[in-house]
Amino acid sequence: MKPRAVITGVGVVSPFGVGTERFWDALAAGASAVGPIRSFDASCFPTRVAGEVPVAHTSAAWMREHQPESAHAESFSAWEGQGMLRDRKVAFGVLAALEAWRSAGCESEPDAWLCLALGLERALLEDFAPLMQEGQIRWAREAEAALPGVRFRAPVDLTARLIADTLGLGGPRVVHTSACAAGALSLAHGARLIERGEAALVVCGASDSMLNPLGIGGMARLGAPSPRHEPDACRPFDRRRDGLAMGEGAAIFVLESAERARARGAKPLAEVLGWGSTQDAYKATAPRPDASAATRAMVRALERARLDAAAIGYINAHGTGTPLNDPAEVRAIRAAFGQVAERIPVSSIKGAVGHLMAASGAIELAACLMAFQQNILPGTAHHRERDPECDLAIIGESPRELCVDHVLSNSFGFGGQNASVVLGRCA
Amino acid sequence: MGALVPPVPIVGAGAVSAHGRGWRGLGQILTSVRCQPTPSIELAVSHPGTLSFEVESLTAPESVVEKRARLLMSRSAVLASMASAAVLHDADWREGLEDVGFYLGVGASGGSIEQLTALLAASVRDHELSLTRFGEEGLAAVNPLFAFQLMNNFTLCHSAILHGTQGPNAAFFSRGTGTVVALLEAAHAVLGGECDRALAGGADSSVHAVTWAELVREGWAERGLVPGEGAALLALARPTASGRALGFLEYVSVTGHAGLDGSGVDAVIVAPWGPPARESIAAFADAVLPGCPVLDVSMVLGESLAASPALAWAVALDLLASEQLARVVVVSHGLDGDVGIVALRSGAV
Repeated sequence: MKPRAVITGVGVVSPFGVGTERFWDALAAGASAVGPIRSFDASCFPTRVAGEVPVAHTSAAWMREHQPESAHAESFSAWEGQGMLRDRKVAFGVLAALEAWRSAGCESEPDAWLCLALGLERALLEDFAPLMQEGQIRWAREAEAALPGVRFRAPVDLTARLIADTLGLGGPRVVHTSACAAGALSLAHGARLIERGEAALVVCGASDSMLNPLGIGGMARLGAPSPRHEPDACRPFDRRRDGLAMGEGAAIFVLESAERARARGAKPLAEVLGWGSTQDAYKATAPRPDASAATRAMVRALERARLDAAAIGYINAHGTGTPLNDPAEVRAIRAAFGQVAERIPVSSIKGAVGHLMAASGAIELAACLMAFQQNILPGTAHHRERDPECDLAIIGESPRELCVDHVLSNSFGFGGQNASVVLGRCA
Repeated sequence: MGALVPPVPIVGAGAVSAHGRGWRGLGQILTSVRCQPTPSIELAVSHPGTLSFEVESLTAPESVVEKRARLLMSRSAVLASMASAAVLHDADWREGLEDVGFYLGVGASGGSIEQLTALLAASVRDHELSLTRFGEEGLAAVNPLFAFQLMNNFTLCHSAILHGTQGPNAAFFSRGTGTVVALLEAAHAVLGGECDRALAGGADSSVHAVTWAELVREGWAERGLVPGEGAALLALARPTASGRALGFLEYVSVTGHAGLDGSGVDAVIVAPWGPPARESIAAFADAVLPGCPVLDVSMVLGESLAASPALAWAVALDLLASEQLARVVVVSHGLDGDVGIVALRSGAV
């Protein structure tokens, strides 16, 4: 019999602040954290609101504030000195990982794997500026290392390296870069490693921040964010929806086998029962209209979990709040779940925290844990007007108290990568 | 732990490298004395005089990559698209691609330097980045779809869109080992029944001005690393009693060599990340597979980052398919320090 993968630790850094409890409490209260961007001057940008972690600049002092007992304070200072904290997702990922590690009761795990989803490297455009001359980049000065402080971009895998070093993880470090599907795929990968017996313990999850000039600007050029600069910029499944709100943060999990968790007295938060991934293979700029690939991701996740569609008590939708994506996801849910689709509660937390990009799947899975830990299903912030094209049992702005045993979470990425994950309540 | 039971048939391959398109014949380059790096065209402005192993003409035929699609694609994405077209042709996979899995090792962002320069030129005043100018003029100076060049998962997605592969998939960032993880996951997806067929490999370029500038700063150029680029993909199929195969994938590991059967190995092909990794791998080969000849593909392909391990597998497959060797172990070593070990054997049983 294959080992069963269970989640025994979780850590979250969200636009509500640092910590899982703060995140769950805010969602349980129906709060929203999308607001004006404060970490840089976005007043002349087409997008000016986002779900921003409440810190202007990630620093060693800010990390110490949230890890006062941490033995890693010196490391935090060293990272700041080396410019590593300029990429906001570094601090978010490390703080979330430390919380997950602590909540799982882990100490030394020299063979543990790290499967981390990360977004794009932070492009440090301000460092290019001194090299610009007559409209061209004077690369030679950089090649000669005349400007040793210059960095063009943060390494993609920097967060993974620092988490592994901080927690003392000696196993392989795997970095998932499947855009918005990456967070869900990292958890699925971790569960697969546990099932195959290749890893005894896996730290997985995601960290991302695109709240920087190129990240915000690039997405705005694509036309994905809402053009409105309001806190309700993202209104998933609402008739008036007009785009997403970007967000940032991290959610990290500790995965191990149920048997191992039981042996060491760790209390599982949920079991990872199934997952499925597919590719739209349609267009770079739009989801497949018939939603067939997204449907197959959900069907495969259910099949792997050996569950009927009727066993799912809650669907955490990808629900970006864009005109095309939401109805496409509704079509996919209808196709995957058939007649029972109409009575399964569905919500999206993106109205509350924004779209965390590579970290979206992970933080949404962290929100799903509320269903098992608090018997609460998060609501859909700013969802007020029903859309006939999105006529599922959408949970409105207020969360719902309900005891469910199985939940499914969808993550559909730019480029057409789809991932669905099924979690189950642990006895 | 890394042994694949049963071994997974490799039924096709595709590669693009400094030595052209195709994987057949790549084994010959290991013994070619004329195979030397040449002055980089891509780095001629940013790092003049840099020697590289560069794909000379990256203009894919329009049958593979349409002109409009090229606007959305990084150099790595173009390389991946060429390799994926080649592997599908080689495997004769023409139909039913909606179930084909796709697992790819990818590198960092590789957006157009011309676009980046236009963005900066419109946004910088008096050697300082002006966020006001950036928001008002800089963004307008670039192709609206520039972001798609920057998203590194699109190295995989463009190929999937071009060819219609809709099966299970994942992109892994790789400075070596991520590409081996892609192969491992693809093999298990096939063995575990997630899909009957899957593509696995890597695509990347280090002849990109920003990527090379960062490698220079990190000291890799001083240590003798020669930039390169390319893409290589293997077509894996579920084992069947009668299926033909170019070779078999026997073993894939990123956690050491436990369970590796060293008997009958004809050669060790290594893809090291610079000279320190080369020494480390050589020591490994000596200890685990004493007496085996060691063939270093980085000497003839350069450092192609996420593509390097996959190109080494393509070289190995050529040596197996041409019956020069019967069993090969490929060892790659990335900047992350992790070692990837892959064992392949000939399709002739």
